[in-house]
Amino acid sequence: MTNGTFSSGPAAGGAPANVPLPVETRPDKRVDLTTLASMVKDGDTLALGGGLTCRLPMAAVGALVRAGVRNLRVVGSAHGLDVDLLCGAGAVRASAESYVGFEVDFGMAPNYRRACEDGSVAVEDSCCYTIVQQLRATTMGLPFMPVRSIRGTDIGRLNPSYKTMICPFTGEELTLVPALAPDVAILHAQYGDRHGNVRIDGPPVADLLFARASRTVLVTVERIVENDELMAKGGPNVPYFYVSAIAEVPLGAHPTACYPDYAYDRAHIARYYDAAKAGPEAFRERYLTPFVLDAGDRETYLERAGGDAMRARIRSWIESPEAWQRLYQEHASLDDAAPAICETTGAPA
Amino acid sequence: MSAECTMGEAMIYALARTIEDGALVFHGYGSPLVQIAMHVAKRSHAPNMVLVEGATYGVNPTPLFITPVTNDRALDRGSEATLEIGELFDLAANGRMGRMFLSGIQIDPYGNANVTLLGDESKVGVKLPGGGGGCNLSCDVRNVTLWTTGHRAPPDAKGRRRYRLVERCDFVTSLGNRAPDGRTRAALGHRGGGPDRLVTDLCVFDVDENGELRVRELYPDTTLDDVFENTEFRPHVAPDVRTMPLPSPEIVAFIRALDPLGIHRKELREPDLTRAYELPETVAAR
Repeated sequence: MTNGTFSSGPAAGGAPANVPLPVETRPDKRVDLTTLASMVKDGDTLALGGGLTCRLPMAAVGALVRAGVRNLRVVGSAHGLDVDLLCGAGAVRASAESYVGFEVDFGMAPNYRRACEDGSVAVEDSCCYTIVQQLRATTMGLPFMPVRSIRGTDIGRLNPSYKTMICPFTGEELTLVPALAPDVAILHAQYGDRHGNVRIDGPPVADLLFARASRTVLVTVERIVENDELMAKGGPNVPYFYVSAIAEVPLGAHPTACYPDYAYDRAHIARYYDAAKAGPEAFRERYLTPFVLDAGDRETYLERAGGDAMRARIRSWIESPEAWQRLYQEHASLDDAAPAICETTGAPA
Repeated sequence: MSAECTMGEAMIYALARTIEDGALVFHGYGSPLVQIAMHVAKRSHAPNMVLVEGATYGVNPTPLFITPVTNDRALDRGSEATLEIGELFDLAANGRMGRMFLSGIQIDPYGNANVTLLGDESKVGVKLPGGGGGCNLSCDVRNVTLWTTGHRAPPDAKGRRRYRLVERCDFVTSLGNRAPDGRTRAALGHRGGGPDRLVTDLCVFDVDENGELRVRELYPDTTLDDVFENTEFRPHVAPDVRTMPLPSPEIVAFIRALDPLGIHRKELREPDLTRAYELPETVAAR
């Protein structure tokens, strides 16, 4: 590398790239949610599975908050509720996500925005392809990967770990992005088995890359099934030896969607957004305390989130296009939403 | 019977017209106007386009309806194949991706756009949601259509305007036709061709030979003065500036059937929701 300005150094998050990634062989990796969350340490670089409003590992995120984990550096592509909640709970020191928001449905992420603007969360925004290449570098055992894109933009200002080099074959200048080995990835999927094999139905987003590049992979699933049933569903797309622990957590992505089991719970997210938007104290009082800190028991959370009526509602997508459409119209007015949910949950106002 | 279209539907049609038949086209998330425009193109002038859905990476889906969130099974329905995240971005890097749509809270005369932050990184004034894959794609993809629904910049109580189309972005998330310092894309070593259209709530820009935005089309209810007044820089104007073509009644009907919940209206500002145009009776039905 005679022409390069690349110098070896620690990888961008997590362990140095030259430490071998583990092979997890225990026959039974089932744990409960609290135990799973206890495997995340203060200061970890954390990759969260799913994306936008699809399969975010929200039950595990709540358990991290209750465990009091601090100083996380979150890395990934397009996220929203998960990162916003962690920011609102004061668990994050830096964000290297490529997007954190609620799209056109609600807009900007209130807690994330406040934390970035008051300086408590360092802004290290990444870009989807650079993250992909950084994860690929780890999976290939390489210290970096080149990308052609980025030059001319300001993304490098938020990522001082990027370097440039002159390609020894073509003479072109390329951007080098360092290997990224997250300390922990947390994924939520539809199915898994006790050995840790995982079946993700629908778009995997970056989950497969996270599983292959992270030092510890923690998984929550809607249902733990026998391996032959998993094979009948199409087989695992995350083989067991990547996975350190697996917990069965039905509705573990709620209020985000985990099709085919359930759709996006817009009413719940409207309530979340309304509380977060109203400020840190309102967020703590109206959401963080009733739905996370004081809802350690999963049944308590689900009851407060609407119980059986909620379950029926978010599963109604499959009944008809009209039923599905109704889910996106629920509580379009936040003023309408809050009292309705309060009544059914008895959550502290 | 006099048919009409809304301003949002006219904007969707303007976005759709930027799509070439046969191109592999991708939209980001959070952009129902663009999503609908891609389906309009696919079902009208660009049947051979490869339509890649923004967050599911489904190929050529036939959504039941447009949802306010992008990674949703309703949008992915009927996909004939799906892509993996690395593969999607590889398609731009290896030159297969023909067009991508990008927006910004700030857009400069070269089409550089900012969705990352206002202020600077040492003192973040407003943290915007971030660019997703837009930074990489803006460099790699063959062509970019820019759009914004916030071109109009009415003065506040003190007479100050917060422009969307600015002299200079606080932060460049996605690359335009030149970096703010004037370096060309070729000098930066990028293969992609950069933005060739910017569709706004006031007009449609193309770009001149210098890579700068140039007013090309106006809405039936906007003027060049509207554009000048609401733009921080003085944009160039094409010699043959014209009123934009409006969609046929069939396309309008298609848009309304695809978006029964009116999700694309969430992207529009309140005063724009009542803008509407009568469609000429001579528009050929297709």
